Amino acid sequence: MEREKLGGFISIVCFKGVITGMEDALGEKATAIALTSAGRTRGKNLVTELGLAGANPSLEDLASKLDFALGENGTRLCKVDKIVDEGDKIKVYTHETVCSAGEVQGSTRKCTYSMGAVCGAIETIQGKRYRPKHTESVLRGSNHDVFEMTLIG
Amino acid sequence: MAQTLMLSDIVQKFVAGNNDIQGAALVTPDGLSLVSALPSDMDEERTAAMSAAILSLGERIGQELARGEVERIVVEGKKGYSVMISCGEDAVLLVLAAKEAKQGLLFLEIKRIAKNLMAILS
Repeated sequence: MEREKLGGFISIVCFKGVITGMEDALGEKATAIALTSAGRTRGKNLVTELGLAGANPSLEDLASKLDFALGENGTRLCKVDKIVDEGDKIKVYTHETVCSAGEVQGSTRKCTYSMGAVCGAIETIQGKRYRPKHTESVLRGSNHDVFEMTLIG
Repeated sequence: MAQTLMLSDIVQKFVAGNNDIQGAALVTPDGLSLVSALPSDMDEERTAAMSAAILSLGERIGQELARGEVERIVVEGKKGYSVMISCGEDAVLLVLAAKEAKQGLLFLEIKRIAKNLMAILS
């Protein structure tokens, strides 16, 4: 059912309320696992819906496609700026992630859902498996939220 | 890669060599599958995320409710057991066993294989 007046977007405050509520009840670690897993599934489904599964484009093209799907013209989860190949790992540079939104500078919050979504999307597009890690944060002095994805299969 | 093959070999042999063991998976603490020998109708990625999350939740319960360090998480269903046990800092082991399995023997076997896996992981 579509929302006639409210449309398809909700406030970040409500989304963050879900995360902090889960963390309170389940703990940070279990919540992070659940949200990263949920993000992976979301990313996988999104690129499948867009017909990009198995397309394996260049990393530049991939960043552009992800930004289109997740950014300003898409679901507004985050902006994807660039993807850099570093041999056995790739680094995804993002900003305005929903996970970092609303946090104070110096916050220890790490991206989970956003990182999972980006990872799941890239895995499905490339047909590879990665282990993602949030290595740089806009909340801790970086210009980007960087997701380092190590190839595992 | 050699490490993965060794881990896979141990898990596969553990499942194949015990009639009451119906499946096993070694997953990372953040919920990614490392190696597995699960029944074909089970989703490997979802199983990995569930196992890591439930062990983490169990550890939180142990801490919050002052139960001490968690030895294992056991889900006992009408059709059998799901047992989750930490393999050090790097992995979580999930074992699926039949209802007929003798609990004491099962836990002993799981402890033994977890020790073997930890030796390779370290």
